Amino acid sequence: MTASPAPAPARAQASPPIAVRARDVLASEWTKFRSVRSTFWTLLVAVVTPIGSTLLVAVALSSQPRGAPPIDPMLPIFISLDYAVLAIGVRGVMAFSTEYSTGLIRTTFAAVPHRRAVLAAKAAVTGAVTLVAGEIVAFATFFVAQALLSSHHLGVSLSHPGALGAVLADGLILPVTALMGVGLGAITRHTAGGIAAVVALIILPATLALLRPPWGGRLGRFTLLDAAHQVTALHPAADLFAPALSLVVLLAWPALILLAAGLVITRRDA
Amino acid sequence: MIEVDHLVKRFGAVTAVDGLTFTVRPGHVTGFLGPNGAGKTTTMRVIMGLDAPTSGTARVNQRSYATLIRPLHQVGALLDATALDGGRTAAAHVLSIAQSNGIGRRRVAEVLRLTGLEPVAGRRVKDYSLGMKQRLGLAVAMLGDPPTLMFDEPVNGLDTEGIAWIRQFFKALAAEGRTVLVSSHLMSEMAQTADHLIVIGRGRLLADTSTAELIDSSTRRDVLVRAPRAAELAVLMTARGATVHREDDGALAVTGLDAAAVGDLAAEHGIAVHALIPRTASLEDAYLDLTGESVEYRAVTPVPEGAVSR
Repeated sequence: MTASPAPAPARAQASPPIAVRARDVLASEWTKFRSVRSTFWTLLVAVVTPIGSTLLVAVALSSQPRGAPPIDPMLPIFISLDYAVLAIGVRGVMAFSTEYSTGLIRTTFAAVPHRRAVLAAKAAVTGAVTLVAGEIVAFATFFVAQALLSSHHLGVSLSHPGALGAVLADGLILPVTALMGVGLGAITRHTAGGIAAVVALIILPATLALLRPPWGGRLGRFTLLDAAHQVTALHPAADLFAPALSLVVLLAWPALILLAAGLVITRRDA
Repeated sequence: MIEVDHLVKRFGAVTAVDGLTFTVRPGHVTGFLGPNGAGKTTTMRVIMGLDAPTSGTARVNQRSYATLIRPLHQVGALLDATALDGGRTAAAHVLSIAQSNGIGRRRVAEVLRLTGLEPVAGRRVKDYSLGMKQRLGLAVAMLGDPPTLMFDEPVNGLDTEGIAWIRQFFKALAAEGRTVLVSSHLMSEMAQTADHLIVIGRGRLLADTSTAELIDSSTRRDVLVRAPRAAELAVLMTARGATVHREDDGALAVTGLDAAAVGDLAAEHGIAVHALIPRTASLEDAYLDLTGESVEYRAVTPVPEGAVSR
């Protein structure tokens, strides 16, 4: 290594503080998130379909025959999330899967070799946007449903004990699903595979609830569907976890999946 | 500066890079040559910290890539120009990568202008031609004004004008004292761009030399002779110390005598000569000499049935 021309000096730069680097990666992922059309369409589906479907469910429930067991006033808004959950889960998966399928992930990881920072930034951006969308949907569907149910003397107001907490918790379901999608997209590196994994993790454990009592409840309370049901119900089921503990279960699902994603993402070739 | 030291990369049973050692120095365009499947892309991915080496090391500017903070200021690379999210505009694509390294919008506009993409930066990249995507990749590589640059098959998909432009671009970067590594499987392309060559085949180093030396090193330098009394002439030339090979069409390939000597000899003995062609090796020949043994997937010349011994 002699007699070679003087190398262009590597730009002398002090290593920026970690907070600045975190802000940069967040800005980068925010730009990516907002600059594809699928984001707009997913959010539109996630906000509009629950409001429409709440109307239908509320009408159906309020026209039940006299003498039928009373319904939980929160049930219509919970049920109405189905399509939104699917759309949001897909968008979460795509945060990583489209980068892997196009090869863009190599550009991303070349720019940010600290891959967990990329995972964290994608999760933060997706989580924040879907949380806002989720709460908008939760409050909008609550007011729509209660307006309909109250004409049948079934509705409750936001000041009803537990109602506000239930509505806020309802808004958490979209970010929970989105973050599971982000983690599973990073693990599977494949859009179809990631979507299949999200759906499987939501639906398959629900079959546990069909087990013979008391096992159905004992195992079922760890499932996403039952945990979500508990935190959003005004009258939680007695054989499942209390709402506070169910909230922990609900949040543990995306947390554990993101943790697993963080473990595999640094170990594999990009 | 890029330093690769005893690098080995295995994918299961396949050894893609097999003990590779070389250094890419600043101030030159260094060609990274090898047949398809020789391990060029894998080597570049390991240098970029994208693939983990099985053993050995790769360092950029004396550091391992994974430890670089804001690496775009150290290394610019274009590995796959088509690796884009087609739904995003070019401007958003470049901006998103710039932001991750704390690079501002002014520099984004600069690199888009530098690569001639400014007028089309608002278009979605799925509408880009391959040549435009190559330019977009160059724009991203230049974002951090890095001292080291790597390009994997950058000429693919460019038209003639684009190729001329990119050659000047590489030469200008090297003239500024930067380290420039450009891979290709086409020797003819590298002959006009690179002044230093690293040739690999089947993951092993075949040559690490200047372009001129590689041509000189080739053994293919002979005289082609066509003559009606070829057999007679061959005997005379062999007697003068030449080595003579009869080619398929009856022509003679002569080494050890130059064209003038062959012509004089034929005249002395009254032998008519129909063609007398001195042949020098091209860089392409030198490359084929080197890599002939190491092509991973060679097309097999069909053998007539019955000719195969059993």
